[in-house]
Amino acid sequence: MRLTVNGNPIEIDAEAEMPLLWALRDLAGIKGPKFGCGIAACGACTVLVAGQPVRSCVLPLGQVEGDVTTIEGIGRPGALHAVQEAWIVEQVAQCGYCQAGQIMSAVALLDEIPNPSDADIDRTMGGNLCRCATYPKIRAAIKRAAASTGA
Amino acid sequence: MSRAGKITRRVFLGAAGAAAAGLAVGYYVYRRPFPNPLEAQAGEGEAVFNPFVKIPTEGPITVIVPRAEMGQGVTTTLAALIAEELDVRLDQVTVEHGPAASAYANIGMLEEGVPFPRFDDSTIAEMMRGGMGVVGRFLAMQATGGSSSTTDGFTRMRQAGALAREALKAQAARRWQVDAASLTTAEGFVTNPATGETVAYGELALDAARVDLTADPILRDPAEWKLLGRPQPRLDMEAKVTGAPIFGVDVDLPDMVFATIRMNPHFGGTIRTLDDAGSLAMPGVEKLVIIETHLGNGFGVIARSTWHAMRAADAVQVEWERPDRAVDDDAIWAGLEAAVAGRGSNFRDDGDVETVFADAPRERMVEAEYRVPFLAHAAMEPMNATARFRDGELDVWAPNQSPTLTRMACAREAGISQENCRVHTTSLGGAFGRRLEVDYAVYATRLAMETNGRPVKVTWTREEDMTHDMYRPAAMGRFRARLGEDGMPQALDMKIASPSIIASLLPRLYPRLPVPGSDTAIVDGSFNQPYSIANYRVSGVVADNPGVPVGFWRAVGNSFNGFFHEAFMDEIATAGGIDPVELRLSLMADHPAAVGVVEKVADMAEWSASLPANRAKGFAFATSFGSWVAEIVEISETEGRIRLEKVWIAADVGRALDPSIIEAQLMSGALFGLSAAMFEEVNFADGRAVQTNFHDYDPLRIHQSPDVEVAILQNAPKMGGVGEIGTPPAAPALANAIFALTGKRIRQLPLAREVDFA
Amino acid sequence: MRRLFAIALFLMPGPAFAQDEPGLIEWEGLYRVFSHPRCANCHTEDDHPRWSGAHYGEARIHPFNVRRGPDGFGNPGMTCRTCHQETNSPVLHGPPGSPDWHLAPQEMVWFEKSSGEICAQIKDPARNGGKTLDEVAVHLRDDALVAWGWEPGPGREPAPGSAEETYEALKRWAELGAPCPQG
Repeated sequence: MRLTVNGNPIEIDAEAEMPLLWALRDLAGIKGPKFGCGIAACGACTVLVAGQPVRSCVLPLGQVEGDVTTIEGIGRPGALHAVQEAWIVEQVAQCGYCQAGQIMSAVALLDEIPNPSDADIDRTMGGNLCRCATYPKIRAAIKRAAASTGA
Repeated sequence: MSRAGKITRRVFLGAAGAAAAGLAVGYYVYRRPFPNPLEAQAGEGEAVFNPFVKIPTEGPITVIVPRAEMGQGVTTTLAALIAEELDVRLDQVTVEHGPAASAYANIGMLEEGVPFPRFDDSTIAEMMRGGMGVVGRFLAMQATGGSSSTTDGFTRMRQAGALAREALKAQAARRWQVDAASLTTAEGFVTNPATGETVAYGELALDAARVDLTADPILRDPAEWKLLGRPQPRLDMEAKVTGAPIFGVDVDLPDMVFATIRMNPHFGGTIRTLDDAGSLAMPGVEKLVIIETHLGNGFGVIARSTWHAMRAADAVQVEWERPDRAVDDDAIWAGLEAAVAGRGSNFRDDGDVETVFADAPRERMVEAEYRVPFLAHAAMEPMNATARFRDGELDVWAPNQSPTLTRMACAREAGISQENCRVHTTSLGGAFGRRLEVDYAVYATRLAMETNGRPVKVTWTREEDMTHDMYRPAAMGRFRARLGEDGMPQALDMKIASPSIIASLLPRLYPRLPVPGSDTAIVDGSFNQPYSIANYRVSGVVADNPGVPVGFWRAVGNSFNGFFHEAFMDEIATAGGIDPVELRLSLMADHPAAVGVVEKVADMAEWSASLPANRAKGFAFATSFGSWVAEIVEISETEGRIRLEKVWIAADVGRALDPSIIEAQLMSGALFGLSAAMFEEVNFADGRAVQTNFHDYDPLRIHQSPDVEVAILQNAPKMGGVGEIGTPPAAPALANAIFALTGKRIRQLPLAREVDFA
Repeated sequence: MRRLFAIALFLMPGPAFAQDEPGLIEWEGLYRVFSHPRCANCHTEDDHPRWSGAHYGEARIHPFNVRRGPDGFGNPGMTCRTCHQETNSPVLHGPPGSPDWHLAPQEMVWFEKSSGEICAQIKDPARNGGKTLDEVAVHLRDDALVAWGWEPGPGREPAPGSAEETYEALKRWAELGAPCPQG
């Protein structure tokens, strides 16, 4: 099976029903998306497919229609995405396990609503669980990223 | 190869606590140093100064932070303790967790495991703390817990930095033929101010590590600190916002196979029948391994990916044995009710409670019964570990809070000596006490015995994680108070029953050790609050546990005693017609740190200002882990739904090593407590946990999360912990706010049983 | 409720309300389908889909702050498709799936509505997507998301009957004058 992940074509030898998350993590070695629940209830595995946010733990490979973008594809040390920069300025992460998913959801939100209200943030980010409860800082970082890209 | 100098040894021993001397344990044995675990593994061109500092001839300095980074920022703060004295910038160091080693034992944590209030400085309390330090050294447990990492490391880590710095200066002095005292250090260089000559640490390192210092290094006065006391950017932040593979689930080794486990969800049950024919025929499946341990019985499936293993595990036809003892909510609560009606052990008994209550008129009595449920840890990263057993040697990669316990348990499972077992501690995707346990590492070890030397990464499903937790125990309390004519409490009597954590935990770690009869955790947070009430009794009863494994959960006993004590204190205030804040100020007048945080938080939240009719505030206070915390929660009600608007926290931690990280921990601790108070509950039916995943155990989300404002005070005489202290006052502050708003006194958590949250 | 009920009465054709009338008996079968949680949980009046069933307890608001969004397909950053794929998750408690997973338009309310109210809505072109009853029947038979209600994935009780049976029942009910019950 052929996928495009972060701009790179990759060949995956797996069944069509294998969830994208596990193909990325265990077969392609792309570890940014995290396994948290397996039932799309925590958001740790969030990636973009054709620019839209998807919980990769429940997306079968056979239903991937479009390029896949993971946290590794939006920015890297030295060339961070504005959302990642904002996350650093606000010092959001604690344990950090959910943050790749949080950031991908925030990127998806800001792509469509460049200047989100609190309610917009709540409607997008309610799907991303954080047991360290970094929520106030996530909210601040999204607003910071919005301000930095909107300028 | 370097040698630790005389002073080095002595200083590191000194850190363990001098109070040990008077106790009847072998002084010499106690003073004997643990070996430096880094010496065996120092690389070419790498100088080992002590168990915490390695300086290569070129490149970044390595500091060892032998505590689990589970979100609390310990990597950054402990590294800053070393860097402060070593005179390097934080961006000049790389942090390693280091191996499991007795040299990294957490003495501070065990010192707190004694039944005395933290603020009790009496000789006996000090003796006991020192005594636990000795025990800690003998057990030599390297662990992260009890909010103890910074208090434990405060002196030790700075000494490690100072010793290395002084050795570097001594070597430079030898080279330049000058007095070491005339030299200065900064940003990784030694400078001779007289000549302007400078030399990099790396250039001196190999020789400097052999220097035997002749005097104790003097630790800097806090007034001179450049890093400590100021917010530092977290060293782990960039990795965590770029998805770097730093967690246990991310471990990747050559030739690795993947696995998952299914354990009998009926605690203590075995496998009755198992049919794996269908599973083994599935593509990508390599092997099924039966797991039989004292921790649990079940099986593991080894496959070409975690998903292949999980899918095949689902397909295994297994009939679990169900132990005879009924494990369900009814049996559990019956046990708690029986216990709370029975005789308790007094952990506090001031005055003469019985006499005061004997002639108490009804209208001066306040009585209440409180309950809290079992809770799951539900760390975001499900339990997992990777193990490789090859040529009689076992390597275990695990996100764990106790490398030495992990090593002990895994070596035992593999039937090898501990010297042949290495534990590699990864970053932890949350822990909250769950990762002090060893089950996940033991199961991975078991599977690694079956893979012909190939490493196996064993990742649990969320369902396995939630149904095989070591739960925060349920607890129940019966409380009564007698009020005086002035409305103030003359007597307070609290009896609390809960299953014993230590009695559940110890057999998991040491199957042959006898189980202790009492457990301070049952009353921790109620018996040791700084209220002056003339007649004040707090007793605890170990409740019968029908077999639910219970363990440490953020703030442990304080997590429910905070609710018990402070919600009941609010009832006392209401009954006595006294403002809850005024009541606390009056009863805690002897403790300036307590008064300080109560006044501060009342000021921040404008406690006395009036609010619209659909809004209210609630207050609570708790001292735990050596720190003093007051919280106010403001809520609003719209269309019958309650929204948390804001939380104010004032905390006195004695000394704030990193205000930014402390603020984050207080925020996290409070919201973690609110999450449990609002929504969380594990029920038991049919011998197993009912909740299985986040669809039915749904913690706090961003749309339910209030704003949080934190003030950090530093007036208390001792430095306290940080990671857990925000949790205890959170639940009662919210419950008290709900009472203020609705008149409904909710005495059982979670609150969502009684109110709807927006 | 009362106001809607009055409208329902007003819209109701035919003279008979007797419970044993054949048309009403047909309707009763249809009502059991429309009011079934697999169908009604996503025909809500407010912003929230509902969850219910054996593993979820009585009907409750879909957690995670999932909202209708401007078009019933969710909100930017968390659309229905973020979690609900083209097929059911095979994992117990995993998200159910079907192409174009979304909430029914707000005017097509079934959740917690009475039999008479749902009946009136089905017949009202202003509130049924401008469909004749024949078109409603075909929609019930052929729409993939409707069909999901009878194959809802592991752990969920399917709606009664089948798509084909519901289609047939609606046709019969229409031929019998499409009577609606009181209440």
